[in-house]
Amino acid sequence: MSRPDTDRPDGGRPGMNRPGRDDAPDRLYTITQGRTRTSPDNPFDLVTLVVAESEPAPGMQSEHVAILELTRFPASVAEIAAELRLPVGITKVLLCDLLAAGRVSARHPRRPAITDPDILEQVLVGLRNL
Amino acid sequence: MTAPTHPGDRPSPRTFVSALAVTGVLSALVVCAAVAAAPDSVRAPLAAGAGAAAVLFSAAVATAAHALRTARGTRRRLESVTQDVGRLLRQQARTAEEARQEQQRLIDELAQQRTEFTESFAAERARLEEEGARELNRLAKENARLTGELERARRDRAAAVAATSNAAARMQALATATLADLRAMEDRHTDEDVLADLLHLDHRTAQAGRLADSVAVLTGARSGRRWARPIGMESILRGAMGRIAGYRRVRVHSVSEAAVAGHAAEGVMHALAELLDNAANFSPPTAEVHVYVEEVPAGVIVSVEDSGLVMGEVQLRRAERAVSGDVFELGGLTGTRLGLAVVGRLARKTGLTVSFRPSARGGTGVLLLIPQEILTSPAPAAAEPSAAAPRPEIGPSAPVRQAVDTGAVHEPAAPPEEGPAGLPRRRRGSTLARAERARTTPDTPGHRTALGPADHGTASATDAPRSAAAPAGHGTAPGGTRQPSAPGDAERGTATDTAGQPAAPAAGVEPGTAPGNPRHHASPAPDAPRSAAAPASDTGRVRAARFSSFRQAVRPPAPGTGRPGAAPGDSAPGQSRDRTTDPAHTTAPDERAVTPPPDDGVPAGDSPYGAGEHGSPAPSHPHAYPEGDTTS
Repeated sequence: MSRPDTDRPDGGRPGMNRPGRDDAPDRLYTITQGRTRTSPDNPFDLVTLVVAESEPAPGMQSEHVAILELTRFPASVAEIAAELRLPVGITKVLLCDLLAAGRVSARHPRRPAITDPDILEQVLVGLRNL
Repeated sequence: MTAPTHPGDRPSPRTFVSALAVTGVLSALVVCAAVAAAPDSVRAPLAAGAGAAAVLFSAAVATAAHALRTARGTRRRLESVTQDVGRLLRQQARTAEEARQEQQRLIDELAQQRTEFTESFAAERARLEEEGARELNRLAKENARLTGELERARRDRAAAVAATSNAAARMQALATATLADLRAMEDRHTDEDVLADLLHLDHRTAQAGRLADSVAVLTGARSGRRWARPIGMESILRGAMGRIAGYRRVRVHSVSEAAVAGHAAEGVMHALAELLDNAANFSPPTAEVHVYVEEVPAGVIVSVEDSGLVMGEVQLRRAERAVSGDVFELGGLTGTRLGLAVVGRLARKTGLTVSFRPSARGGTGVLLLIPQEILTSPAPAAAEPSAAAPRPEIGPSAPVRQAVDTGAVHEPAAPPEEGPAGLPRRRRGSTLARAERARTTPDTPGHRTALGPADHGTASATDAPRSAAAPAGHGTAPGGTRQPSAPGDAERGTATDTAGQPAAPAAGVEPGTAPGNPRHHASPAPDAPRSAAAPASDTGRVRAARFSSFRQAVRPPAPGTGRPGAAPGDSAPGQSRDRTTDPAHTTAPDERAVTPPPDDGVPAGDSPYGAGEHGSPAPSHPHAYPEGDTTS
């Protein structure tokens, strides 16, 4: 099969994937049974910390297993999404499932961690280094 | 011949009696007279003698009379017989004559008719011959015409099939590209509405892609995509579900850990998709379709059970025949009933066995046996299909890259990999093979141990000189052991990279992936699946780089933070097209010095990542891929 990106009008514009040989065959909607929305009162945003409350059970969806293993120690939603390589929205749906099943718990990170002057200083250093 | 005697011819007794009477009377009178005349003395003897003589005389006369009469009758009869004979002779002669004439006539007639027949026969024959020749000629011409037509039809058919196949292949390519684009967009847009719309489009495109796949299969084109790694059963099932309209109605019951070899995975998925589609289409719109996966000695049985229509005997036979893959002609296909024919082709190609049976759910059950030949034990990382899929790509190669770096920094040689421009050259088969060898050779453990430290994320790494980052990690690795292994590592590193990433530099160009190694060290599947599919975008890379720099700056420990300006060459843009490695790559210099700390240093701090190798992974990856979308 010819690689169509060569004749693609946008010439492979930034952010567009080349149709690779090795994407996973699962489409995102099959992971969530077609759900993309979470209820408005869900507790998850990007920095919500998630902790597993139980071990993975056999027969679970592999993403759920991965999340439970990942959140054995607290991990943020953004991290989980990154680790799973799933969009945050999809990750939230999965997390909501787990939360509803009582398999994970969610809490927001403590505020003081960010206001620590040392950290701010390091931020400054980091910014200078850019 | 004796003529019959007439009644009058026979001497009647009456004649005989009358002659006898007359003679008797006369002789009696004579005797009486004689007696009367004779003396008495002789009277007695005379009377006796005369009487006797008279009787004899009478008898003689009577006999004579009778004989006379008889002779007369006989003569008359003789005459009549003679006449009869003459008459008969004449008659015979006449008849013979007639017969002769008749015979002659018949002979003549026969001869004449024969002549006539001969003539007409000859004429008829000539006519027929002519007619036959004409007909033959016509048929020959017709035959030639039909042959030509057949030839043309064959050519047309071949051309049409080829064109269709070609078009289908292009549609497949387009669908695949669209799906990849959609996947990228899904990662970039965080808005739920946009995501929902994108997923909708994704679903439609996947169905269109399946149709293109079906056409391609029927026209004998190569089946759509080829997967480079084994695909786990869960992904197989999801991949199949994702291509049908009613995927929400499919319930999967599977705990199977089996995986299908990459080359056959697409066929299995496609066949399964067709079977699922059939099941979903031929059952009530609200009924669920259940899929069970069972591992048996012969392979894996996937059973698809619906509660829809039960197939009749005839339908069942037809379906069995269709899925057996024995029928090759395209005739009889309708646009909406491609499914089973496609399944048949795919089954034949990939060695699947499909059978039907009534389902306990009231509908039809389909059993799909995936033979052992195309099953593999789940690759260490592929077992967890989609979620884990990305990991292996970074996993095995990342630590190696780190080793590569360090090695390369010290020995800029890494000679075989460097092109004239100083850029590394990818060498496909050989490097891979050598990498494989290198991995198994005893001195390569060097790099493994080198990873080990990273895995455990010892804090010492941060203090260690940059070049020694890897070995310093475990602290026990003598520098000497590392050095010799470095070239090998470099080689292997690039080899592993080349699998998915064309321009993987040998030296120091992609150190950044180091952070990724810790958790993936355990799963050394040497393929970089997604990397090939994810070309770097400059903007994305820059953005990601910035973000990760920022992030590392924010992290508390990092005493060696910065190392500003270290190895600017590392981040030479365009070195790597691999998106996954990019961010890390650009940030490499700092990253390596700093990243280990997050892994290990974090525990020291009060960050949530505390504790060990399991918590550590998280920080490493996020910036590799998703950062782009979280920041975008």
